Amino acid sequence: MELNFKIEGGNFSGAGSASSEVKKTLKQLGVDASQIKRIVIALYEAEINVVAHAYRGQIGVKISADKIFARIEDEGPGIADISKAMQEGYSTASSKVREMGFGAGMGLPNIKSNVDEFDIQSVVDKGTVLEMTFYLA
Amino acid sequence: MEEPKGTYFYHALKVDHDICVGCTHCLQACPTEAIRIKKGKAVLYANKCVDCGECFRVCPVRAIYIKQDDFAELGKYKYRIALVPAVFISQFAENVRTSQVYACLKKLGFTHIYEVEHGVGVLIELMNNYMRKNQDRKPFISGYCPAVVRLIQVRFPSLVQNIIHLKAPLDVASITILERLTDAGISKDEIGIFYITPCAAKIAAVKSPVENVSSSINGVINIDFLYNKVQQMLAKENTPAEPINHSLSGRDILWSTSGGEAQNFAGNSFAVDGIRNVIGFLERIENDEIESDGIIEMRVCNQSCAGGVLNPNNRFVAVNKQKRRAESLDNQLDGRSCFLPVFSQDFNNRVKELMTIDEIKPRSILKLDDNLQKALKMVESINKTKAILPGIDCGACGAPTCSALAEDITRGNAEIEDCIFMSAECDKSKETLGRIWNYKNKNK
Repeated sequence: MELNFKIEGGNFSGAGSASSEVKKTLKQLGVDASQIKRIVIALYEAEINVVAHAYRGQIGVKISADKIFARIEDEGPGIADISKAMQEGYSTASSKVREMGFGAGMGLPNIKSNVDEFDIQSVVDKGTVLEMTFYLA
Repeated sequence: MEEPKGTYFYHALKVDHDICVGCTHCLQACPTEAIRIKKGKAVLYANKCVDCGECFRVCPVRAIYIKQDDFAELGKYKYRIALVPAVFISQFAENVRTSQVYACLKKLGFTHIYEVEHGVGVLIELMNNYMRKNQDRKPFISGYCPAVVRLIQVRFPSLVQNIIHLKAPLDVASITILERLTDAGISKDEIGIFYITPCAAKIAAVKSPVENVSSSINGVINIDFLYNKVQQMLAKENTPAEPINHSLSGRDILWSTSGGEAQNFAGNSFAVDGIRNVIGFLERIENDEIESDGIIEMRVCNQSCAGGVLNPNNRFVAVNKQKRRAESLDNQLDGRSCFLPVFSQDFNNRVKELMTIDEIKPRSILKLDDNLQKALKMVESINKTKAILPGIDCGACGAPTCSALAEDITRGNAEIEDCIFMSAECDKSKETLGRIWNYKNKNK
């Protein structure tokens, strides 16, 4: 089963709709509550990343009986130094974004600590692709 | 709809099928989609209903009622205790004094009047201890409103651990009075404790507590029933005031108002009222978006218990009276903690031991099947069905929304033809749909 969502850059108030929709489906599937929690947290963080940094993006979530795979693709400035972006507290978010309570530099590290497999590819001035896998068993 | 085995829950909300006209008002109002119209009558599904009473509020023909215990039951006991919530006093006009209401209740047959909020002091202490000991269960959600507890069990199963596992002031009060009377040598069989309720959820909580231990409360009487009795007495005769024998402070009186619980706790606390707001906030807690090291007070009625479905008085007027009563009590107390000497430490410790709840079990109504593979197929089927339904949530099929119908169809409890726009002979209705909603038939 596949779920697809569009994300609009800068639309902070609309962020979270994709993770909410995925949450609803996972509850219907009877997926364990602690599993749902980490999936929703990681998806929400990924959504916020696109909203805060990129122009637009999309999320595709594939759900099967043993795992959940999510691919988040955006058009945006890209990440110049991925290893730096993976460090806790490192952020390139603008002061405007920080004032809104985002951009604490916890996004990617928080995602990584909630997923089983994680892959990030980025091209500066083009965009970023984030893939994550959660095993349910 | 099939009820899962072994999950019967008492519900105070009932539908009188002789009166129900199947008008669908309740269908749309129910926040857990627990109602369907079958053969022209509203049917409540026991595993989904959380006794919030929203259906009761909107029923235009008063077919939905809240079943109370027979008032004549009172006669079975030698000691007849009225457990009165502060909100009961708030139902009466400004000039009616608490002592007059007490006197009327005695005339009606009660031997003791005890206000529920006597349990607040002990509970605050217990809650603080609980929070200190269970830091891993943050954020803490209050278990005060029984409809909230049930809502979490059925719709937010991942949050049951966050509910503070303690009983409510009502239980502290009833246990305290029961212990006190039995200590005085009175046999349990002679004591009848009757709670005066502002809502259906409290009845359900007494009749079928979250844990399968029976409540110490013997009966529940609806607030409007006793309000009418007392009003009639006040109108007829000059009721001599009964001396008030309680040890309440303003803090206690305010507990059941919005924010009245949260204000007692240090840290980042929240007070949320109204069932739609509660659901929205629970979603956020579930997404880990709420940072709270205090307490999250949640009540399903707007303006908390003053907005209880059985209350005759306007909720804002009632809250105002409750606040004024709290102020006046605090002024009289003038810095003392209460009027009466508090119970001994020993006694309090005994009561406290009876206040914990071991386990609140999740019982999801969202899960489609125990087998994930099968559930996955069902979600796909629901989504496919949803895509061809008109999406206007008219309720004519007897389900509250097109999504709910899609789920009912997938579960085998309804058919696609139940949708009047989908039934084969209804080409005319499709025209209507196109004209009004610009709907294009998606399946053919």
